[in-house]
Amino acid sequence: MSASQSAVRSRAEAVKVSRTFDWLILFTLFFVVLGGYHIHYMLTGGDWDFWTDWKDRRLWVTVAPIVSITFPAAVQACLWWRYRLPFGAVVCILGLLLGEWINRYLNFWGWTYFPVNFCFPSNLFPGAIVLDAVLLLTGSMTVTAVLGGMAYGLLFYPGNWPIIAPLHVPVEYNGMVMTLADLQGYHYVRTGTPEYIRMVEKGTLRTFGKDVAPVSAFFSAFVSILIYFLWHFFGQWFASTKFVEAA
Amino acid sequence: MAATTESVKTDAAEAPLLNIRNLVLGSLVYVLFYGWVRWYEGVYGWSAGLDSFAPEFETYWMNFLYIEFVLEVSTAGILWGYIWKSRDRKVMSITPREELRRHFTHWVWLVCYAWAIYYGASYFTEQDGTWHQTIVRDTDFTPSHIIEFYLSYPIYIITGGAAFLYAKTRLPAYQKGLPLQYLVSVVGPFMILPNVGLNEWGHTFWFMEELFVAPLHYGFVFFGWAALGVLGVVNIEVQSISKLLKKDLA
Repeated sequence: MSASQSAVRSRAEAVKVSRTFDWLILFTLFFVVLGGYHIHYMLTGGDWDFWTDWKDRRLWVTVAPIVSITFPAAVQACLWWRYRLPFGAVVCILGLLLGEWINRYLNFWGWTYFPVNFCFPSNLFPGAIVLDAVLLLTGSMTVTAVLGGMAYGLLFYPGNWPIIAPLHVPVEYNGMVMTLADLQGYHYVRTGTPEYIRMVEKGTLRTFGKDVAPVSAFFSAFVSILIYFLWHFFGQWFASTKFVEAA
Repeated sequence: MAATTESVKTDAAEAPLLNIRNLVLGSLVYVLFYGWVRWYEGVYGWSAGLDSFAPEFETYWMNFLYIEFVLEVSTAGILWGYIWKSRDRKVMSITPREELRRHFTHWVWLVCYAWAIYYGASYFTEQDGTWHQTIVRDTDFTPSHIIEFYLSYPIYIITGGAAFLYAKTRLPAYQKGLPLQYLVSVVGPFMILPNVGLNEWGHTFWFMEELFVAPLHYGFVFFGWAALGVLGVVNIEVQSISKLLKKDLA
């Protein structure tokens, strides 16, 4: 290859080529990350995300942020540190939510007839926006892990509150007190039923009363910080450009 | 006038840098084919896919499985064989413009890979969750598995393998050795298919569809992480393309 030759005919063509690659890269990155992130999330936190009767005020609040901060941390590690693009977390969540919503409509509802108000996905955007904003404002991975990771865990429940609150209203059914979401679970029988039904409104949970969700969110925030650190380094490794000798 | 709005004239006789037709056709193949597959699931999942001992199950689902096995093996053999056989043996002597054109072709492959990964890892995998929560399985070859494991996964393996082979055989940027992250992003998701063996073996012991997050499924999670290798691929590509355009964009 001759170094003196040019790959393009003009500066205008160079600009056009560069912009075209931007779109191709963005599309590919978006959908490949969507695929990897979605399979990860559905198999580590999926059941809590699939059904409203699993969206309780203890384990859903704990598990969902911990398992979902992974890919945002990894993608931020590449997009921010290499390109100063401050949307790694949001682009991941956009992908995940797009994949989930398409599935819940076309398959959960469209193929197996679970109503969408029983199987809508969790909202992960508030935490992701804060995660990106903290990284943009501080430029520090450590601060993003500690403050952003904590905010990611803490904001999950409030971020879903407006959606889930009506389904957490208590009802009495056959002499038992449960939530409307639990009642949905009773009526939409799944193959795992009855073991799959999670009556979480019992045991010591009730003696803790209103504190359960904040305590769960706080614990989730703590673990999210640690997971962020770990996955940021995963992201750096995945974003490296190593070559190995062919055997 | 800003550089971005200047008109770009191309040589009429020259092949375009980016073959838009291939890009659109490639994408349409995935979207239309999987649209048809989803229609097939909707119709024959319920009417012929509930009882694996029924004759109609053999007709509509097992035959579908046998046909896809044959088509996948032959497609992989022909496609990968063709890309390898027609490789450029003087890849380091191509002109910068030809190199740029090949990068675009490589990206057409990567866009196809993106479609294939989306349908395999996102669309049909989560769909499998809702099918299992609706129908009690009586075979490893349930309708959702025949599509998810044995159709959509092989298709993204074939597509990813083709993209990798194309880069390795035609682009100077990949002649330094084996690009590790590219290898991970293709081989990792590939390993999800052999992991089906562990999964189905586990399901012969335990009826676990009621819990999608069961540890038996973590093999899929681990290999799904490998998709992040696309970050490394993007970085290799950006470095190479920047090198080609640097002088003209300065």
